[in-house]
Amino acid sequence: MTEWMSNHLLTFLVFAPAIWGLLILCFPEKQAPLAKLLAIFGAAGLFFISAARLLTIPPEGPMNLVFAEHMPWFSVVGLPVEYSLSIDGLNLWLVLLTTFLTPLTMLGTYRSVTQRAGSFMALILILESGMLGAFMAQDLLFFYLFWEAMLIPMYFVIGIWGGDERKYAANKFFLYTLSGSLLWLVALLYLATKAGTFAPGIMAATALGLPFSVQCTLFLAFALAFAIKVPLFPLHTWLPDAHVQAPTAGSVILAGVLLKLGSYGFLRFALPMFPDAFSHYAKPIAMLSVIAIVYGALVAMVQRDIKKLVAYSSVSHMGFVMLGLASMTVVGTQGAMLQMLNHGISTGALFLLVGMLYDRAHTRMISDFGGVASKMPVFTTFFFIVTLSSIGLPLTNGFVGEFLILNGTYISGFPWGRVFATVATLGVLLGAVYMLWMVKKVFWGPENPDEDSGTQHLHSDLSVREIAVMVPIVVLIFWMGLHPRSFISVSEQPIVNLLHSAKAPDPRVRVQPMLKPESATKDGLKDGLAADGAAPAAPSISGEEVRK
Amino acid sequence: MNLTSQNWAALMPLLVPSVAACLIPIASLDKDQDTVKSVRAAMFGMALLALGVSFFYFTRIWATGQNVFFSNLKMDRLGQFSGIFVTVAAMMALLQLWDHLHHEGWMKGETLSLLLFSAVGMMLFASTTNLLMMFLGLELLSLPLYVLTATVRFREESIEGGMKYFITGAVASSCFLMGTVLLYGLTGTLELDGIGTAILTTGADPLILVGAVLLLMGFLFKISAVPFHQWTPDAYEASPHPIAGFMSVATKGVAVIALMRAFPGAIGLHTATGQRVGMALAVLAAATMIIGNLSALPQTNVKRMLAYSSISHAGYLLLGFVAGTPEAYTGVLFYLVIYLAMNMAAFGMLTAFGLVGEHTQFEDLRGLGWKRPVLGVAAVITMLSLAGIPPMGGFFGKYFIFKELVKTGHVGLAVLGVTASLVSVYYYLRVVVALFLEQPSESQVREASEKPEIQSFLSTTTVLICAAIILAGGFFQNLLVDGFAAKALKEGIEILR
Repeated sequence: MTEWMSNHLLTFLVFAPAIWGLLILCFPEKQAPLAKLLAIFGAAGLFFISAARLLTIPPEGPMNLVFAEHMPWFSVVGLPVEYSLSIDGLNLWLVLLTTFLTPLTMLGTYRSVTQRAGSFMALILILESGMLGAFMAQDLLFFYLFWEAMLIPMYFVIGIWGGDERKYAANKFFLYTLSGSLLWLVALLYLATKAGTFAPGIMAATALGLPFSVQCTLFLAFALAFAIKVPLFPLHTWLPDAHVQAPTAGSVILAGVLLKLGSYGFLRFALPMFPDAFSHYAKPIAMLSVIAIVYGALVAMVQRDIKKLVAYSSVSHMGFVMLGLASMTVVGTQGAMLQMLNHGISTGALFLLVGMLYDRAHTRMISDFGGVASKMPVFTTFFFIVTLSSIGLPLTNGFVGEFLILNGTYISGFPWGRVFATVATLGVLLGAVYMLWMVKKVFWGPENPDEDSGTQHLHSDLSVREIAVMVPIVVLIFWMGLHPRSFISVSEQPIVNLLHSAKAPDPRVRVQPMLKPESATKDGLKDGLAADGAAPAAPSISGEEVRK
Repeated sequence: MNLTSQNWAALMPLLVPSVAACLIPIASLDKDQDTVKSVRAAMFGMALLALGVSFFYFTRIWATGQNVFFSNLKMDRLGQFSGIFVTVAAMMALLQLWDHLHHEGWMKGETLSLLLFSAVGMMLFASTTNLLMMFLGLELLSLPLYVLTATVRFREESIEGGMKYFITGAVASSCFLMGTVLLYGLTGTLELDGIGTAILTTGADPLILVGAVLLLMGFLFKISAVPFHQWTPDAYEASPHPIAGFMSVATKGVAVIALMRAFPGAIGLHTATGQRVGMALAVLAAATMIIGNLSALPQTNVKRMLAYSSISHAGYLLLGFVAGTPEAYTGVLFYLVIYLAMNMAAFGMLTAFGLVGEHTQFEDLRGLGWKRPVLGVAAVITMLSLAGIPPMGGFFGKYFIFKELVKTGHVGLAVLGVTASLVSVYYYLRVVVALFLEQPSESQVREASEKPEIQSFLSTTTVLICAAIILAGGFFQNLLVDGFAAKALKEGIEILR
């Protein structure tokens, strides 16, 4: 058993939650408490296994050789599809984020779901399987399968346990996401039939041989699917509905992990497969990201529902991620990687906290509260720390991510970089405005005297269980803020290789890293940074300073 | 006449159900109140046994890998494939019919007999290359279905639907016959192979095109492709659910297989006639997908929705013909297998939930998923598969066809296809919404508590088997495609000559 585990760790990680979830699904309604406990233990166990196994290897080593599984799956009617999973610098932390957030979410919403709680937890576990599979899959059809299959449990989580408008929100979420991915499927099939395989490396090589206009069309099809998931402005309209209607756990997973799949898709597939098209469209993407940052912040400012405010802040924060990717610099991309983790932790925590407040007060309207700080001091402390991390105060994780992204944008070789960086900085400011505004009104303003208001229903501060959920998150917030190096060092080498090959003039060089992910040398690193066009600034940020 | 063992092998699978079909009405003459129950069970048992024997013969021939024949009856791999296909569908329909007719309170022996005759006709239709034999098969499968549609005579819609189906069906049959006559007159043979070679030598005669088009109309009517689809919703709504399922699956399936024998098989798509037929198929496939899916959207009746959905699936199947590569036809056969499971489960689900007569609105499904979770989950699997969401089998059916479509350069049609299936997701989700996301209204709860518990063990079992096939299609495609669909195609007919 242990030997099988060490040989098939990734298979175990991907399918164990689903199998566990399916077993729990078979539990009768009466056994819900037992089912919930088993689900949490299962998810927690998976986190410990994943952390223990994945963090043992040296961060600089050729890790994707250690954790990779390849075998042919089916090759019927011509096109081979591979069962291919691997973990490298690009997805290591995202995988860990998934396994980390899932048990915490379950524990945090342990009492929130009262009806059919066993099935709810089971669906979250199945969802975890889908997300982990999508993060690890290295064959594009395999990735696509997870990408789509993931929608099914999420659909039910929103549709069954959501708010009053849950049917509408669930359908919108499902159809909106699907609309992008179906066109992407056609593009995928087009490229795969040309390449004769779904392996991204060979597909990238094939794509480079196609005319530039075709490359652009294919890239747009890819980008549409990923941008809807991110969500990039103006494709974000499904997000507020889904978030507001979803139960707390659904929102946490949605914001914490699902959205990352979009930006991860850009980084893992769209950028290396269509480097020319990516740099061709980098400016529009960056422009949309900046619009998302500012627009998300402005809309968040006028929200009356705390959860909706957090949902719009997600749009704003994910805009930063996309801006970092569009900069096509090592610093910016590293910042985007870090910002993905930051957003997963901070926004996930915010949704959890809002859920805790809602469980007590049964309302989420800002105007229903006021003076919460005197009633729930512990809760207020946690909420304030997470808020600070969300607005990017130095010492917290938010600051490092946003700083790297803005830096990357500023120094990017593109002439528009400085303008965008300046406007995006405004977004940071606006973020502080709406978050602090909300915090002030909810926690410190005058206590709402109305009998039916939310404040009057707050009788108890956080329980031990809820504190146990928040403590690891707060620890991570500071850890990531103080020593970001431990989170982004693994992704540095892959990103350097990726950008280096994307910018190399010779097409043959470009596809090499995708065929042999660890082939680039130290020279490659230097070249990659030099190619950023701002060599003196780049190493000082991504390399030395952060390392200290 | 001396029959060799090979002749017998080809004949037996058709002979056994035919004999049983003749015997069953005799058994149903017994009107004695004391024995009626046991006679009824015996009739069902006999019908099931006959189909089982037929299925057994087919699988045995399949296992030996022989191509057996009896005069014009060609039990090649493709014929065996369709035989297995039809017998499985008929057995499932039979099992569901037991439950359904008990729910309706309407039990007649001739129903079973007609079902068997129709199944024999289907086997004949798909396992011959002689146009006249094909026509015989077509009539033998159609006439019992017209009657079956109107089985439940006390419902007015039932008679109406049966009548509509009969009149339009008769027109289609006469078109098919006219096409046969024209082709025979021009080429001097009824064999598809002979017609194919004659067309190659004589070149494009406009009358040959007319004959081919008339023939095509006959097929397309049975496939229920636009514009020959108007009968579908009415006929499905009128007929008992299992019969509707059987019609949608088996009729469409054998028509697709027979079309394969006629068009790419005999009249190759590279000839002048074939190219025009191919173009017509492309246009019709697009129209079928668009009209089928858009008409399904506003339906309030689950059965009518399923009828339009089956029209749209005809469009996807025709896309395989447009692509026209051997892989695409393999994909079509794979799709048919999954489609059998999907539609038998979709219609069987209604029977299993005990919804009969007029009670097939979306509202009637409310909250039933929670009431019977296992069946509910199977229904959800079916609906997601119909919508083409991975990891269900339906996704791979579409995937195989769209892939070949893109490969042969029909990217526009592929985009149209995925857009159409996006639209379809919405109406399939309505079933899921009703089953799990909605609560039953108070009057429904009251009604349900007054009625006795619904017994539907047999139909529930068939739905579960279908769901298992769908999941198997999603995870073990190799088995189904290489072992079944590809073999049927390769050793059945030479598609590309």
